[in-house]
Amino acid sequence: MTTTLTKAAQPLARRPLHPYRAALATARGRTGLALVGLVVLAGLLAPLLSGHGPTDQSALALAGPGTPGHPLGTDDLGRDLLTRLLYGIRADLGIIAVAVPLGAVLGCLFALAAAAHPIADTVVQRTFDLILAFPGLILALAITAVLGPGRLPVIIVIALAEIPVFGRLLRTGILVQSGREYVTAARVGGTSGGRILTRHILPNAADPLVVQFAVSLTVAVFIEGAMSFLGVGVRPPEPTLGAVLSQSMPYLAQAPHFAAGPLVTVTALVLGLSLTAEALNREIRR
Amino acid sequence: MRGHLLRRLPSALLVLLVASFAAFALLRLVPGDPAAVLAGPDASPETEAAIRDRLGLDASLLSQYVQWLGDLVTGDLGPSYAIGGQTADLIGEAIGATVELTLGALLFVVVLGAAFGIVGATSGNRWLRGTVRILTTGALAVPPFVTGVLLVLLFSVLLGVLPPGGRVPLLAAPDLGVQYLLLPALCLALPSAAVLGRYLKDGIERALGEDYVRTATAAGIAPRRLLWRHALPNALPPVVTLLGMQTGNLLGGAVLVEAIFAWPGLGQLAEQALVRRDYPVVQDLLLLLVTVFVLVQLLTDLVHAWLDPRIRWE
Repeated sequence: MTTTLTKAAQPLARRPLHPYRAALATARGRTGLALVGLVVLAGLLAPLLSGHGPTDQSALALAGPGTPGHPLGTDDLGRDLLTRLLYGIRADLGIIAVAVPLGAVLGCLFALAAAAHPIADTVVQRTFDLILAFPGLILALAITAVLGPGRLPVIIVIALAEIPVFGRLLRTGILVQSGREYVTAARVGGTSGGRILTRHILPNAADPLVVQFAVSLTVAVFIEGAMSFLGVGVRPPEPTLGAVLSQSMPYLAQAPHFAAGPLVTVTALVLGLSLTAEALNREIRR
Repeated sequence: MRGHLLRRLPSALLVLLVASFAAFALLRLVPGDPAAVLAGPDASPETEAAIRDRLGLDASLLSQYVQWLGDLVTGDLGPSYAIGGQTADLIGEAIGATVELTLGALLFVVVLGAAFGIVGATSGNRWLRGTVRILTTGALAVPPFVTGVLLVLLFSVLLGVLPPGGRVPLLAAPDLGVQYLLLPALCLALPSAAVLGRYLKDGIERALGEDYVRTATAAGIAPRRLLWRHALPNALPPVVTLLGMQTGNLLGGAVLVEAIFAWPGLGQLAEQALVRRDYPVVQDLLLLLVTVFVLVQLLTDLVHAWLDPRIRWE
């Protein structure tokens, strides 16, 4: 009798979890985090997990999986595929970890500037329209034409694609929250405009941005891969997930294992990120 | 309607203007003397002088810009220095390939999207609905280059029924051309078909929940007729708008799919010109691609306004 009582009372006594933590504790959130965590860990531990260098060549071209010393086999130039995969993850993570936060911060700064004055709002809105009017990959071609291939153009293209997304999201959030009664109440109570923005409006407008951040990481993986396929990505011989996959294309018939590593990894990464985003979205919307 | 067009036109023109500036600036932003870059390292001074003359590089930037726009309007694009042949011919061939790919994909989008939507909303078979849900989720979550490689592995390597890449013009040899078109068109279409299918499914489900459907059911109208004559027509308008927006996406996505399947369209031409530093061709192509993209967006907007009068009065 007593045990049932305490069991029933427990959930009431415990403080409810923060929505983000609750979201990540769902089956969906856990699966997503586990998939992403696995890929990230593999990338971070690359030098420990592999004895080769990412561009070391050997005499064994297109060796199959299970070859001694090359668990995933080798590519057309005899480079170890496991090593190229691990260092490819590393390169992707390095690009994404800079580009997405950069785009998010710049987009939010634009939105804040737009909130300051109606004229600034119009200018910012038209700028976003302009960026969105260019098809992403054509923009990628143009930027690489000027800068030459490398990491920098990939980072710029990803950041540029994210700026209007975050900017519009935060602008809408600020507009919606500004019309709410608690903001009016705070204003009537004499709270300053800046304090209303930082203490009341922004915390309440942040949720969609967190979800979008997870989605944007997925988009970044898309863009990196697409640019590698277009030949305007990171300069070879440095491996990225997209670069290794695109290099495997001519050899699919004779050596399908060439594509296996990046195929599985990219799928695990984007699926993990999508699941995490979806888990966050469901919990926040409740 | 005309008012709506007039409101949308300035921003479309602004985009085109900025795009033309950006494309024009491209050649001039590349480090070094543009004529020397275009002629290549082994060129004679005469070739460089000819290029300089052709592009008017000694004139002021403004007159170069005006001359370029004039050339574009008259279709006199000059020779391609790195690829060979006339630029206008190269672009003409590539447009044909890209249009073929995009139309093929559009067909897939409509057929697959309708199938996903109708089956997802109305099928009594739980497994079938589950399969559609997994397919649409997967098509959206996984990048096109992964789908592309998987399609090649399945249909070319494992089954050996379709070629892994390349193109035979559909009009020249329909039976062979279709074989080359199927995989790239499917790869390009899948994400858009998934989006369309989801919208259609939601639309049909919402329409089937309306009061008039309950009334019709009570009046004894058969479920099949209810779906085709009542629910579907009411779910359709937003889907048509979506289809227009997805056409823009297809054009953008075609650049990537062309690279995956070695499809010799505009994206491949742009890539080739870029790699060989043929900047005048890149310049023309960039403006062309953006123009088409803007026109599709404008058209979509107008169709949307035509279908939904509320937008016109906003």
